[in-house]
Amino acid sequence: MLEQVYNSLQFIKPELILVGTLLVSIIVDLIFKNKKVVVAFVILGLVLSFYYLTFLNSINQLIFFNMYAIDPFAYFFKIFLLVATIGIVLFSVLSKEISDLKSREGEFYYFLVALTIGMFLMTSSTNLIMMYLAIELTSLTSYMLAGFMKEEKSSSEASLKYVLYGAFSSGMMLYGISIIYGLTGSFDLLAINMAIADGVSSLALLISTVLMFVGFGYKISAVPFHFWTPDVYEGSPISVTTILSVASKAAGFSMLMRTAKIMFIDPYAAPTVNDWQIIDSVPIVEILTILSVLTMTLGNLVAIWQSNLKRLLAYSSIAHAGYLLLGVLTMNNEGYSATLIYFVTYLFMNVGAFLIVMLVSNKLNSSDIDSYKGLGMKSPFIGVMFALFLISLTGLPPTAGFVGKLYIFAALVNKKLILLAVIGVLNSVVSLYYYVRIFRNMFLRESDIETPEIKLSLAEKLLILVFAIPTIGLGLYFAPLVEFAHASVEIFSGN
Amino acid sequence: MNNNFLNIGILTWMTFIPVVGMIAVLLVPKEQKTTIRWISLGATIVQLIFSVIIYTNFDRSLAGVNNAATMQFVERYSWIDIKSVEWFGRIHIEYFLGIDGISVPMVLLTALISFVAVLSSWSIEKSIKGYFALLLLLDTGMMGVFVSLDFFLFYVFWEIMLLPMYFLIGIWGGPRREYAAIKFFIYTLFGSVLMLLVLIALYFSVSIPDASTGELVHTFDMIAMMNPANYEANSLLFGLNTSWRYIAYVGLFIGFAIKVPIFPFHTWLPDAHVEAPTAISVILAGVLLKMGTYGLMRVAMPIFPDAAIYYLYPLAFLGFINIVYGALCAMAQTDFKKLIAYSSVSHMGIVLLGMAALNTQGMIGAMFQMFNHGTITAMLFLIVGVIYDRTHTRGLNDFGGLMNQMPKYSAIMVIAFFAALGLPGLSGFVSEVFSFLGAFQTFRWITIASTLGIVLTAGYMLWTLQRVFLGELPEKWKSLTDINNRELIMLVPLAIIVILLGVYPTPILDLMNASANELVDFIKGENNLTILGQ
Amino acid sequence: MLNLYDYIFYFFAIVILGSSFVVVFSRNIVHSAFALLFTFFGVAGFYVLLSADFLAITQLLVYVGGILVLLLFGVMLTNNIVNVEIKSGTMQTLPASLIAALIAGLLCGIFYVSNWYLVPTTPELLNNTTAVAIGYAFITTWILPFEVASVVLLVAMIGAVIIARREKAPEVE
Repeated sequence: MLEQVYNSLQFIKPELILVGTLLVSIIVDLIFKNKKVVVAFVILGLVLSFYYLTFLNSINQLIFFNMYAIDPFAYFFKIFLLVATIGIVLFSVLSKEISDLKSREGEFYYFLVALTIGMFLMTSSTNLIMMYLAIELTSLTSYMLAGFMKEEKSSSEASLKYVLYGAFSSGMMLYGISIIYGLTGSFDLLAINMAIADGVSSLALLISTVLMFVGFGYKISAVPFHFWTPDVYEGSPISVTTILSVASKAAGFSMLMRTAKIMFIDPYAAPTVNDWQIIDSVPIVEILTILSVLTMTLGNLVAIWQSNLKRLLAYSSIAHAGYLLLGVLTMNNEGYSATLIYFVTYLFMNVGAFLIVMLVSNKLNSSDIDSYKGLGMKSPFIGVMFALFLISLTGLPPTAGFVGKLYIFAALVNKKLILLAVIGVLNSVVSLYYYVRIFRNMFLRESDIETPEIKLSLAEKLLILVFAIPTIGLGLYFAPLVEFAHASVEIFSGN
Repeated sequence: MNNNFLNIGILTWMTFIPVVGMIAVLLVPKEQKTTIRWISLGATIVQLIFSVIIYTNFDRSLAGVNNAATMQFVERYSWIDIKSVEWFGRIHIEYFLGIDGISVPMVLLTALISFVAVLSSWSIEKSIKGYFALLLLLDTGMMGVFVSLDFFLFYVFWEIMLLPMYFLIGIWGGPRREYAAIKFFIYTLFGSVLMLLVLIALYFSVSIPDASTGELVHTFDMIAMMNPANYEANSLLFGLNTSWRYIAYVGLFIGFAIKVPIFPFHTWLPDAHVEAPTAISVILAGVLLKMGTYGLMRVAMPIFPDAAIYYLYPLAFLGFINIVYGALCAMAQTDFKKLIAYSSVSHMGIVLLGMAALNTQGMIGAMFQMFNHGTITAMLFLIVGVIYDRTHTRGLNDFGGLMNQMPKYSAIMVIAFFAALGLPGLSGFVSEVFSFLGAFQTFRWITIASTLGIVLTAGYMLWTLQRVFLGELPEKWKSLTDINNRELIMLVPLAIIVILLGVYPTPILDLMNASANELVDFIKGENNLTILGQ
Repeated sequence: MLNLYDYIFYFFAIVILGSSFVVVFSRNIVHSAFALLFTFFGVAGFYVLLSADFLAITQLLVYVGGILVLLLFGVMLTNNIVNVEIKSGTMQTLPASLIAALIAGLLCGIFYVSNWYLVPTTPELLNNTTAVAIGYAFITTWILPFEVASVVLLVAMIGAVIIARREKAPEVE
C-alpha cells in the first residue's frame, strides 16, 4: 500500500511544487520587506511547476487509490490554469490596486498560489471527498482574494456575499454527496457509476444530482446560482475578478465535465465512436440544457443594462458560461473538445478585456462606461486593443472568439440540436449590442469632461500584446489548439 | 494566361492590396493628410489596374458556377488542416479563390467603386488616418467575398466588413449616425449568424474524397456543396426537397436578404444611407447591396437548387414588393438621400425578379442590373454628395433652378437620373429589359404588376429633376459653384460606363453569358422540373 | 416495534432538533451559544449509536471542548455583544417557509421511498474500536485528502489572521 503512495508521488510533482512555493513564499514574505521578492518566488514556483507538468502530457493513470486522475484532460486544464495564473500574476504586478496593498502585497500573491493548488485538485479529483476539499480550498482562497482590499467597503461586501453564497452552495453540495453515498456506498466516481448503472432509487438520485449541481453551478456562476457574481466581480480587485472569471470557472467546468462523464455514462453500453450512452434514470442533459439556456439568456439580457464595465463583463462572463455549457450538454467528445477550445479562446480575450479595464481604472480611477467616452480617439492603442477583445468576445471572425463559438455550434448542429444552436446564435447577436455600447463610447462619442490621455508603459503594452496576439492569431490559424483539445478528450472515448 | 504576379496570384493581390495600403496608412503620422490620401488612392488604383488585367485575360467561354475546372484565376492552398481522430473527421479549410462570370462583373465593380469612394473622400478631415484605414479594410472584405470559393473563407470576409462599416457610419456619419450604425450592425449580424448555422450544417453533410489518400473529408468547398453526390447519406441536408433543406435555404436567404435588402428586412437601409458620409453611401449602394444578391446566386441557389425552385414564387413576389414598395416610398421622400436609398430597394427588386425567372434572359438581366445599379447609384450618391458639400442640405424642396447655375453638374445628374429610370440608350434600360423579358416568360402577372414600378420610378425621378433644376433659383444658392475637377474625375468615368453600356452592352454581357446559362441549366437540370409557365 | 436503540435515537434526535431551534430563534447570543452545546452533544450521541467511537470522542473534544468554549470566550470578552440585536428582519416569510417545507417534505420523502446502501454489520465491526482503522486509512487510502485538508486548514488559518488583523493606520507624511 505504501508502495502505491510512493509511486503516486511522482505524478503530482507540479502540485507538490506549488505547495512548496506556497510554504516558501509565506516565510519569504515574513522575512523580506520588499514584496517583489515574493512575486519572484511565486513566478519561479509557477514556472517550475509548469516545467514538471509538461512531462505528464501522455500519462493516463489513476493514482492515490483512485482518488486522483492524471490524464490528458486534467493536463489540458492544468496547463490552462498555469498559463492563466502566470498571466494574472504579471497582470497584478501592473495593478495599482494591488501595489497599494503595500505590506499585504506578498500575501496576495501566495494566495494566488493556494488558489491554483485548489484548482489543480479540482481538475484531477475523481473522488467526491477530494472534490469537496478541492472546492473548499478554492473557495476559501477566493473569499480572501475577493476581500483583499478590506479598506474598501465594496471589497469587503463582495467578500461577505461570496462567503454567504459559497457556504450555502457548498452545504447543498455536501448534502447531495451524502445522499449519493447513502445510495451507492462509495465516494469514488467510477464505483458510483457502476452502482447507478445497476439501479438506485431514481428520485433520490435526481435530488442528489441537483444538489451537487448547485455546487458546480455556483463555481461556474450558472443561472440561478449566479447572484454572487456581479457584486463580487465589481467589488473585488480587478485581478481577482479576472482569475475568478477565467481560471476558477475553468476548474469548475473541468470538475463538472469529469463528473458528468464518469458518473452518468452507461458502463454496460457498447462503446460508440462519438455519442455517449447516458444512463436512462438521470436527466443530466435536461438539467444542463435548462442551466445553459437560462445562463446565457439572462446573462446577456441583464448585461445590456449595466453601466459599470466590471459588472458588464461579469454578466458577459455569465453568458459565456452558458455557451460553454452548450458544449458540455452535447455529452460527446466533440462537444467536450469544443468546450476546451472555447475556454482557451475565452482565456485570452477575457483576460485581455479585463486587463484594459484595469489599466484604464489605474489612470482614471473609474470603470464606469461613461468614463470611456472618447477614449478610443485619445488613446488609440488602448481603444483598438479593447475593440479587438470585445469583437472576439462577441464572436466575430477573424478572432479567436469566433473559433470557440464555431466549434460549440458545430457540436450542436452535428448532434442535431438545431433549436439550441439557434438560441445560442441569437444570444450572440444580443451580446453584440452591449459590447457595441463600449465601442460607441470609445469612438463615437466625445468625452464631456477633460480626461487625460492614457500613457502606457512598455511593460503594459507588451502584456496587452501577449493577450492580443493569440486573440487574433488563434482566429487565423487554430489547428494546433483544436488538435490539443481533441487529444485531451480522447481519454473519455474508450474509458 | 498570366495570373501570377511575383508568384502571388492575382486574386490575392486584388484582395490584399488594400490591406497593404491600410498598413501603410497606419504607419504614416496623422499630420500628413495628403500622404494618407494618396496612399489610399494608390492602393485602389493598383487594384483597378489588376482588375483591368483580369478583364482582358478572362476567358469568356468558360462557365464556372459548379465546376471547379472552369473557374479562372484559381488559387487553392490548404489553410487549416486538422488531422482526424477516431470520433471526428479531418477538418480541411482551404484558401480557395477563383472567379467566373458571376463574380467578374462584381470584382470589376468593387475595384471601380472603391477607387471612386477614395476620390470622393478627399474632403474628409476628421481622423483621416482611421477613416482611410477602415475604408481600405472594407475594400478587402468586399473583394474577398466576391473571389472566395470556400464557404468558410467567404464567411470570414463577409464578417470582416461589418466592423469597418459600423465605424465608418458611426464616426463620420450624420446626426443620427449612432442609431444608423448599430441598426446596420445588428441586422447584418443577425443574418450572418443564421448563415453560420447553415454553413456548419452544410459542412457536416458534405464530404469529398481526399485527392491523395481517398479518405472522406468534410469540406467547406462551395463547389463540392453544389453536387448532390457529395452529401453523406443520413446527414442533415442529404437528399432533395427535404424540410431541413428548405429550412437551411431560408436561413441563408434571410442572411442574404438583409444585405440586399429585401422587404421586410430593408429598414436599416434608409437610415444607414442617410447618415453615412457620401463615400460610404456610394460603397453601400454600389457594392454592399450586391453582396446579398451575389450570395443568392453564388451560394444559396446552386447549393439548394431544389429549395430555390420551391421558393421561386415567393422570391418573385418579394421582387415585386421591393420594386413597387421601394418606388412608392421613394416618391414620398423629401430627403435627397432617402429618395435614392428607396430607389435602391426598388432597383434591387428588379434583380430578384430577374433571378426568380430562372431563364437565361432573366439571369443575365439580374446580373447586369447588379453591375448597372452599382454604377448608377454610385453616381446618384456622388451627385447628392456634391450638392450637399456646397449647401449642407439634402431637402429636395430647398432647391430649384440649378440648371443655369451649375450646368455641368446638371448634365451629369440628368444622365444618372435617366439611367436610373431606364431610358433607352443608357445602361439601366438594357438590364431592366432583360430582367422583365425573362420574368415575363415565367411569371406573367407578377411581371406585369411589377412594371408599375417602372412607371412610378419615372414619375419620382422626373419630379425630382423638376424640383431641383427647374423653377426659381432661391436667393441663397446664387453663389453656388459648379462641379470641380476632382468631382468630375469620379463622375465622368461612371457616366461614360453608363452611356457606353447602354449603347453597346456586349463587353459586360460577354463576361457573364456562359456562367448565366450554366447557372440556369444547373438549377433547373438538378430538379428535372419544368419551370412554371413554359 | 421500537427497541432500545430506537428510543435512544429519538431521544438524541429531539435533543438536537430542540436545541438547534433555540440556537436559531433565541434573541440572546449567549443562550444560542449554550444551546449549541446540546446540539453538539446530541450529534456525539449519534456517533456512539453508530459505533463510531473515535468520531464521538473527537466531536466532544473538538466541538464541545474546543470550538464552543472558544465561541463563548469570544462572546463574553466582546463588549456589549450581549445587548446587540443580532437577528435581522425576515422578509417574504410565507413563500420562504412554503419552499422550505416543500424541500423538507421532498427530502423526507426520498428517505422513505429509496433503497439505501447498508453496510453489513458484523460483530467484529461493532465490537472493535475504530481509532486504529481510521489511523491506518489516513496514511494509506485516504492520505491524499488528509494532506489536502492540512493545506485547506493552513490557508483558512492565514486567511482568518489576515481578516482579523488590525491594519496600521495609513502613514502620515
